[in-house]
Amino acid sequence: MAEKPQFPGHDLGDQFRFWPKHNEAIYERLESKHTWVEEQQRAAGGDGELPLTEAEDDPLENEMILNMGPQHPATHGVLRCVLKIDGETVEKAVLDIGYLHRGIEKLAEHKTYQEFMPYTDRMDYLSPYSNNVAWCLAVEKLADIEVPDRAQWIRMIMSELARISSHCLWLGTGAMDAGAMSVFLWTFQEREEIYAIMDEVAGARFTVSHSRIGGVASDLSPRSIEMIRDFVASFPEKVDGWEYLLNRNRIWMERLKDVGRITKEEAIDRGLTGPSLRGSGVPYDIRRFEPYLKYDEVDFTIPVREEGDSLARYYLRLEEMRQSIRIIEQCLDRMTEGPIRADDAKEAYPSKEEVYYSMEGMIHDFMYTDVGTVPPKGAHSYHAIESPKGELGFYLTSDGTGRPWRVRINAPSFSNLQGLEYLLEGDLVSDAVINISSMDPVMGESDK
Amino acid sequence: MSDTPAPSGDSQDPEELQFHYTSSDAPRPEQETENAHAKDTTRVPDVIEALRKAFGASVLEVERYANEDTVYVEKERIREICRFLKNELDFEYFADLGGIDNFKDEDRYEVFYNIVSMERQKRIRLKVRVDEEDMRVPSVTKIYRAANWNEREAYDMFGFEFVDHPDPRRMYMPEDFEYHPLRKEFPQLGVPGSLPLPPQTPDGELTMDPFAAARGSEPVKSYEEPPVEQDDD
Repeated sequence: MAEKPQFPGHDLGDQFRFWPKHNEAIYERLESKHTWVEEQQRAAGGDGELPLTEAEDDPLENEMILNMGPQHPATHGVLRCVLKIDGETVEKAVLDIGYLHRGIEKLAEHKTYQEFMPYTDRMDYLSPYSNNVAWCLAVEKLADIEVPDRAQWIRMIMSELARISSHCLWLGTGAMDAGAMSVFLWTFQEREEIYAIMDEVAGARFTVSHSRIGGVASDLSPRSIEMIRDFVASFPEKVDGWEYLLNRNRIWMERLKDVGRITKEEAIDRGLTGPSLRGSGVPYDIRRFEPYLKYDEVDFTIPVREEGDSLARYYLRLEEMRQSIRIIEQCLDRMTEGPIRADDAKEAYPSKEEVYYSMEGMIHDFMYTDVGTVPPKGAHSYHAIESPKGELGFYLTSDGTGRPWRVRINAPSFSNLQGLEYLLEGDLVSDAVINISSMDPVMGESDK
Repeated sequence: MSDTPAPSGDSQDPEELQFHYTSSDAPRPEQETENAHAKDTTRVPDVIEALRKAFGASVLEVERYANEDTVYVEKERIREICRFLKNELDFEYFADLGGIDNFKDEDRYEVFYNIVSMERQKRIRLKVRVDEEDMRVPSVTKIYRAANWNEREAYDMFGFEFVDHPDPRRMYMPEDFEYHPLRKEFPQLGVPGSLPLPPQTPDGELTMDPFAAARGSEPVKSYEEPPVEQDDD
């Protein structure tokens, strides 16, 4: 048995120490957990007993507990993995999350529906626009607000750009985790272009908050449409380039192949979502499952791979980027002229012209900021979108005031991290970073 | 929680200054069909029928809003109902679980289960009511392993006791924390002293209340202020 390590901080007397009970609970869990690795060893022993581990055999003790994170560059944020390793193999893994817990479900109860929007930017901070859209759609469903067509097209274009931007970051950092530096520079070049588009459309590069309840904040300018068209025209070539670079790279292929393999049944059972689930052969995509916005009117395919390993998830995300480009092209062609926000003072903000030049407009603006949308009392509804990471849903309960009674966030990274605990077990410790990056977790979202 | 702000001024008749934003008391019936965001996937009459047939009075009631069916079931039988849904009705994917605090005397809490059937292309929401006196809820982790972390989170945030849960630890908050933050009585700025944070200066005291300024007391500074020199002339 591995010794329970001494925690830094235990000998500091009255000074601050990292909450000791918390650490003890993690180590207890690590002891009491039963994993399939253990079961396999029992089965191999034949008598149902655990065979002698290398550690007990070997005078040089090989078993140890490794603490990765929360401050670790490969954990994509503040994820903490406590791994029990035997030599190079991970026997048991316990993930500890919550280092970025800000309690946004609690904060939402004290805000009007529109006021909560900037908080959604900071959930999945790699694709803020998707979160804005998810939040708006959830509120619109709860309060029964109809969104004009043009706003829906704009939202679709921008969420697909957000998906590309998120996948670009995943590819860059994923390759960097595997030891390749140059891909990171290539993908960030493209991300930079998406930032520029976001800047032109929303006025902010990163945390955009551009979507509004009942529509969007501003129409696409001719310049931004031109920028999106340029991006759409040039991007597929870039993806081909990355694929050319990576698919012929033996180190990259062998690092990813067969790492973090999960079967279809296990993936469903463990509640994986998004590309991780589709990488195991489950064609579950909210854009098809329950189409929102105009996704039932455009032509695109849901890429699915059967292998279920990191390589499958890599192929799948590259293909998803290409499909996003297809969707954006169709949106640009089919976008109709028209209003961009619902024309009802109780459902959406009035336009700035109205606010500045008419008394009613100003009153409506004030009232909407003060009270905002008021869904009926006792109403509750769930609306999910396919965010770059998977199913992002909001389950809202209203008490008939301008503030939500309860906001429940179904965050895809949270579900995926739960599956990651299983993926890590049985793999090599050096593959842990590959596993983490192929799951693509964002701690802002999973920690809420 | 003020949908109708209190009218200001003493001499005014309170009736006169009422805002127009009054909340309606019940969902309007026509909304069920007119909601532009309503989906077909959330209507499951045949599943509810099958549940009623198999579990009878344990299916307490069915609510519908925005084309979404919510099935209230008895807390004690939630595990059997989940097993039936998974094995007989193909609801194999567990999407979400969470708690709701309704802040009332009876059946204060609710736990909802959001379960998906990919084969049927349907989504169902089960709800159980939990009384403050008895916070035990049967855990469904044996049936849906994906519920593990969600149940831990619900325990962390509301204090439900999930019976037979394999790993009853908190999800987000450290084990040293004593409260359940999403309960309605928990203040938004937290309870001072419940989680000591590192000192702001190298040899300072522990930070007991990071929001001291919001409560009107002197905040702990992260830097040393130079002493103010008094001019005596």
